[in-house]
Amino acid sequence: MATHNLIIGGGPAAINALETIREFDADAAITLVCDEPAHSRMALPYWLSGKIPAQHTHTADDAYFKKLGVQARIGERVAKVDPATNSVTLSGGDKLDFDNLLIATGSAPMSPPIPGKDLPGVQPLWSLADTQSVLEATTGMERPRVVLVGAGFIGFIVLNAMFKRQWDLAVVERESQVLPRMLDATAAAGAEDYLTSLGVGIHTGTTVQAIKDGGSGKSVELDNGTALPADIVILATGIRPNLDLIDGSGIETDEGILVNDRMQTNFPNIYAGGDMAQGPDLYADKPAIHAIQTTAVDHGRVAGANMAGRQDVRYPGSLLMNIADVCGLQCASFGYWDDPKAEPMVINNTAQHIYRKLLWTEDQLTGAIFTGDAKDVGMLTDIGMVKGVLQTRTPLGGWKEFLRENPYDIRRAYIGAGVAQKLVGTTLTGRPARPRQFHFGGAKPVASVGQAHVAFMGTKPD
Amino acid sequence: MVKMLNIVPEKCTGCMQCELACSWVQTGSFQPSRSLIRVNVFDEEASYAPYTCLQCDEAWCMTACPVNAIGIDDATGCKVVSESLCVGCHLCTIACPFGTVFTTPHTDTATKCNLCGGQPACVTTCPTDAIVFTESNQAGDWFGPWAQKVDTNHLSAIGGEQSAN
Repeated sequence: MATHNLIIGGGPAAINALETIREFDADAAITLVCDEPAHSRMALPYWLSGKIPAQHTHTADDAYFKKLGVQARIGERVAKVDPATNSVTLSGGDKLDFDNLLIATGSAPMSPPIPGKDLPGVQPLWSLADTQSVLEATTGMERPRVVLVGAGFIGFIVLNAMFKRQWDLAVVERESQVLPRMLDATAAAGAEDYLTSLGVGIHTGTTVQAIKDGGSGKSVELDNGTALPADIVILATGIRPNLDLIDGSGIETDEGILVNDRMQTNFPNIYAGGDMAQGPDLYADKPAIHAIQTTAVDHGRVAGANMAGRQDVRYPGSLLMNIADVCGLQCASFGYWDDPKAEPMVINNTAQHIYRKLLWTEDQLTGAIFTGDAKDVGMLTDIGMVKGVLQTRTPLGGWKEFLRENPYDIRRAYIGAGVAQKLVGTTLTGRPARPRQFHFGGAKPVASVGQAHVAFMGTKPD
Repeated sequence: MVKMLNIVPEKCTGCMQCELACSWVQTGSFQPSRSLIRVNVFDEEASYAPYTCLQCDEAWCMTACPVNAIGIDDATGCKVVSESLCVGCHLCTIACPFGTVFTTPHTDTATKCNLCGGQPACVTTCPTDAIVFTESNQAGDWFGPWAQKVDTNHLSAIGGEQSAN
């Protein structure tokens, strides 16, 4: 009888698990339960900014589920997981049995205890529904005044989308700097300087005391005495794992659901992946939550492979990396970018907001921070190589001193230290990665060339 | 077996024609900074070799993309970016551990070698056949021996210690 795999969630961990199960087991039964249509949370800001329509954020549709033989229960929620009976109970009352379960419910925005947080126009910007709500609330407004509470990575991606719409923006952050979990103080100061020059209001080291209904719009009152007028207040004060459904189940948690290198919880047929899973960390012995896209994808693929019987597929561990376009200033950080014990090598060009910091533990690169103009092609070129060094944990030996003299020249150190050849044959699941089975508008990527190529090839000498 | 770009480093003279040809066919302008193939210059030992996307098995760019904008081209087997699907999140540019996915500045979308749809311009233009388009199971086999040579020679040329390679 076909194994029944039940997946809870509709984000990258869930969808990648679904495709991987199907890749390895043509006969498996798969049921997906998720409360919103399967979509990419990372794509929501591009809908907010007006770059793409809502549908472009979706990562599945009925035809896709039918093609992959998945029973999709969209718009439903799991209220309770019961490992003892290998079943879940939906909030509507239905009970579903499983052979294997993957919990990939992600995280949810925390709701800060601010008086006035329930006023209309005050909301997080996390879900499809949240994005729809902001777009509706700002329809017809010529230049909405938006106060963003929380200057974290997610908040700033939303800020960038609103900046593209040329809205009137202000940011409030309780810590002394913006992007406290992505940039060091120097890089953050550069980002603040840059944003201020663009007319974005920056209010750090202060918290919101209350949000009040004013005459025209709302007033966001800060504990430093400032009052900011706002039509919309976005609450981006942090996220926490969605764990309510496992309350009382006996599934072990710490900050998230604890999983081993096969993404198994303490119940071997119950898996977890994505933002709410705390799993192997590439650099540390202690399991960690790395709530980023690439971790969710790989969690999903490892869980899916194991659920399909490929118990040899193990997760080597997640690596922290983030990239965010802060209104035209590209910011990226990797690994232990904030390790106070590491030896730093820094380039700080404050006039042009170029910041490059490499952090070393002996001759190992263990962290990095980059900021620079998003239009500067040189800024992003080669930073993938930094990820390659960190991912392979390659010691750089004599190339460390080379980089001290030439801190921009990651490329030569990368090549000389032999990073590329370690990566070439590596795979996560033991076979070449497969493309995804869904594309918005059915538009499968194809390689095409333009007129310049035609003209060029036509002129080559024999 | 699909055809892939393979490099013969001993034949590369560092002339940069591949960068000029690539940027021309991909962007309609001669702009090495927009080339998808980059020449690696080790002047101290007169050693050069270009490289671009190795069409790796794991395709980190493709698996990272949150909107499935990177797929595998049926004709060439090459991982390609769909500019119309790409939203410009740049995740692929940091996910690729070879550093061979780039950003097109004016559209803010990702771009990478697409083998020119099967007729790679860099291969056509290389005057010494340092870049060849041949059937392979695995691209990038040439990388190791060349990198080893670079490591030893470059560091001794500039008076540094040898890398732990």
